[in-house]
Amino acid sequence: MNAPVASRQESDRHERKSWLKSLFARPEIGPVGVMLLLFGMLGYFSIPAGEFSLNPFAGEGFNALGIRNNLRVISQLTIIALGAGLLIIAGEFDLSIGSMIGFAGACMAMILRWGFSIVIPYLSFEGGLHIEFFTLIHIPDVSPLGAIGITLCFTLFFGWLQGFIVVKSGLPSFIVTLGGLFFLRGLTEVSLRSFNHRADQVKGATTVTEIPDLKNIINLPGHGEIEREAAKALPEADLLALMKDVPADVIASIAERLAYTYQRVADAKTGIIATKGVKPLERALENAIESGNEFMVTTIRDKIANFSIEPVVPKTVTDADVARAYIDSISSARPVADFFGGDILQPLFDWLYFPIDWNTNNFGNQFASGLYSCVMISLILCMVCYVMLSKTQAGNWIYSTGGNITAAKANGVPTNKVKVCLFIFSAFCATVFAACQVFEVNTADAAKGNLKELEAIAAAVIGGIVMTGGFGTVVGIVVGAFIFGLAKEAFFYIPGIDGSFYRVFLGLVIIASALLNENIRKRIMGAI
Amino acid sequence: MAQSPKQPLIETTDLVKKFGAFTALNGVSLKVYPGEVHALLGDNGAGKSTLIKLLSGVFAPTSGTINVEGKTVSFVSPRNATDAGIGTVYQDLALNPLASVTRNFFLGRELTHFGGPFGLMKMNEMHRIAAEEMAKIGINIADPEQAVGTMSGGQRQTLAIARAIYFGAKVLILDEPTSALGQRQQMEVLKTIRRVQKLGNIAIILITHNEIHARLIADRFTFLSLGEVIGSGTSDDLKGDDIKRLMAGGAEIGDLAKELAV
Repeated sequence: MNAPVASRQESDRHERKSWLKSLFARPEIGPVGVMLLLFGMLGYFSIPAGEFSLNPFAGEGFNALGIRNNLRVISQLTIIALGAGLLIIAGEFDLSIGSMIGFAGACMAMILRWGFSIVIPYLSFEGGLHIEFFTLIHIPDVSPLGAIGITLCFTLFFGWLQGFIVVKSGLPSFIVTLGGLFFLRGLTEVSLRSFNHRADQVKGATTVTEIPDLKNIINLPGHGEIEREAAKALPEADLLALMKDVPADVIASIAERLAYTYQRVADAKTGIIATKGVKPLERALENAIESGNEFMVTTIRDKIANFSIEPVVPKTVTDADVARAYIDSISSARPVADFFGGDILQPLFDWLYFPIDWNTNNFGNQFASGLYSCVMISLILCMVCYVMLSKTQAGNWIYSTGGNITAAKANGVPTNKVKVCLFIFSAFCATVFAACQVFEVNTADAAKGNLKELEAIAAAVIGGIVMTGGFGTVVGIVVGAFIFGLAKEAFFYIPGIDGSFYRVFLGLVIIASALLNENIRKRIMGAI
Repeated sequence: MAQSPKQPLIETTDLVKKFGAFTALNGVSLKVYPGEVHALLGDNGAGKSTLIKLLSGVFAPTSGTINVEGKTVSFVSPRNATDAGIGTVYQDLALNPLASVTRNFFLGRELTHFGGPFGLMKMNEMHRIAAEEMAKIGINIADPEQAVGTMSGGQRQTLAIARAIYFGAKVLILDEPTSALGQRQQMEVLKTIRRVQKLGNIAIILITHNEIHARLIADRFTFLSLGEVIGSGTSDDLKGDDIKRLMAGGAEIGDLAKELAV
C-alpha cells in the first residue's frame, strides 16, 4: 500500500546521496577521468623500450626532468586559468590575458634593464615638427620587487579599467577584452620598439635581452654582490680564500657529495665504454651463428665472457671544486627574483639523486636540480582561490553573480564590485605568470603569452567551469590545467605520431567537456 | 481568524504615485495588521505592482505617507525597506538555482568568522539555521547542500519566505506566489503562508490574481482598480459575488455577460 498522500512531503523525493554517488555527481569527475587516462598514456608510452613498448623515449615522461618540465607547463597554465576561471564563474570573460602577459613581461624587463622613468612628451619645432621627451624622473636601478610593483600598478589598473567599462556600459566583456587584447599587444610592441632605439639594443627589436641573471646574484664575502657563474670563474686563490670561513663539517659534506657524483660519472662512463666494446663482438657472434662456424662462435663467446675494461678513474675532488659547489649552495641575494624565477625543492631532488638513485641522467650527473618555482606559486594561488571560492562570503558572491545576477543584486551582493575585482585578479594572475617567465629566462618578448587567454579558458572549460557562469570549482580548474599540460606531453611521447595531434585531442576534449558541463548545469537547473 | 489588534503594523495614507502625466496610484490607503493575511487584488494595471514597489522602497511616493509601527518612514532604496522590516518575495524569488539551499538562504548576508568579504563562512551553523528556519514554516529539507535548481517551485517559495522572515521581515510582501505553479505546489505555498500567519507577529500582504486562493487564506481584502481602492473589508464583510465583482474592477458579472454576448 502506498502511504497516504497527505503524509508525504516534497522533500522525501530528494534522496540524500551516499558519498560515492555524490562523488560521481561532482563536476570534476569527467575531467579527472580524462586526466587519469592521460597519466596512463604518458606512463605507458614512457616506460623503457623492450618489454612492453617499442618506445624510443625510455622513461622520459616521469623521470625527474620530465616531472620538472611537465609541472612547469601545468602550473603556469594553472596560474592564468585560475584568473580566467573565477571570472567565468562570475559570468564574464577576459580575452586580454595573453596580451597582458606580454605587456607585463615587457614592462618588468624594461624596468629591470633600463630603470624606471617618468617622461613628458612634447612637440618640438626645432629641425622639423616632431615629438620629444622630457625626463622628469629617472631611477636607473630598480629592485625586482620594485619592478613587479610598478608593473602591477599598470596591469591592475588596466584590469580595473576593463572591468569598469564592462559593468558601467553593460557591453559584453568579450568585446571589451577583445579590445584589450589588441590594445595591449600593440602597446607592448610600440613601447619596445621605441625604447629599443637606445644604443645597447638592436634597433626596433621587440625583445629585451641581457637582463642580469637576478635570481643568481649572491652575496659573496669579500666580493660583494656577484653573479653565481662569475663567482665560480674567480681565480683559484680567491676561491680557496673564500672557503677559510666555512665550517669544516659543511666542507666535508660538500666534498663527500662531490666524490659521490664523480664516482657516479665515472661508473656511467665505464658502462658506456664497455657497451661500446661488447657491441661489435655481439654482432660478430650473430654472424658466426648464422654462418654455422662453431669455432668462431665458441671463440667469440669466450671473448665476450672474459671481456673487461679498466674502470674509469673518478675525478679527484679539489678544493676549488668544493668552493664552486659551495657557491652553488649560497642562497640568492635577490629573494624576490628567486621566488619567481628560481627553483624549489632542491633537497628533495638531491635526495632522489643521492640516496635513491633516481634523478640521474645518462652521464651520471644529477638530472634536475629542483622544480620551477612557478609550481609553488600556482599552489599558493590555488589554495587561496580554493578557500576564497568555497569557504568565504566572497566566494558565495562570485557564484551568485554568475548564477543569477538579479538575485544577487536583490540580496545586496555588490555584483559590480565582484566583477571588477575579478577582472583585476585576472590581470594579477597574468602579471604573476609574466614575472615567473621574466625572472626565469631573463628575457622578454612582445610576442610572449600569445593565445594564452584561449588556453586558460580551455583549461577552465575542461575543468568543468560552465561558460554561462555560476558553476565550477578550483579543483576543476587545476584538473583542466593538468589535462592540457599532460596532453601536450603524452602525445609527444607516442612513437610515430605527429605531436600536433594533441591539439586535435584537446579540441575534442573541450567540446566533450562543454557538453558534459551543460548537461550538469541543466540537470541542476531542473531542465532535465 | 486572527483578531485585529488596534495598531496596524504597516499603514499607508493617501499614497499617490505619478510617472510624468500618468497617475499609477491615486490616493491608496491600506492597513495591515500583524498575524493577518491581507490580500491585494486587482486586474492587470490596477496599480498593485506600483504599490508594492512603493512599500519595498523601489520607488518613492509622489505624495502620501507610509507608517511602519506608527512611525512615518521614507525609503530611498530597497535596503531601507528591508531594514525597516519589510521583506518582499518577488515572483522570480531572487534565488541562484545553481547554488545550494544554505548559500541561497544567506546570500549577501553570510555568517562569517571575521568581518569583511574574505571572512570564512560558518558553514555548519548556516546549514543548521537554514534547515531550522525552513522547518518552522513547514518544509524539512533533506540536504541543505541540495542545489536550489533541483527543488520544486513550492520549496523555493518557502525558502524565499523563510529567508525574508529570518532576516527580520515583520511585513512580508508576496508577489503572486502561486502563479506559475502546479495545483499541488500552490497548496503547499498556501499552507506555508498559513503557517507564517500562525506565527502571529508577521503581517502578510498577498498579491494575487486568484480569487480562490485569496478566499482560502486571506483575512482582509483590498481591491484596486485603475490606481484606486474600489473596495475593502474582512473576509466576513465580503460575501459571494462581491469578490468576483471587485476582482473584475467593479463591473457586474451580469454586465460582463452582456458584453460578451454581443
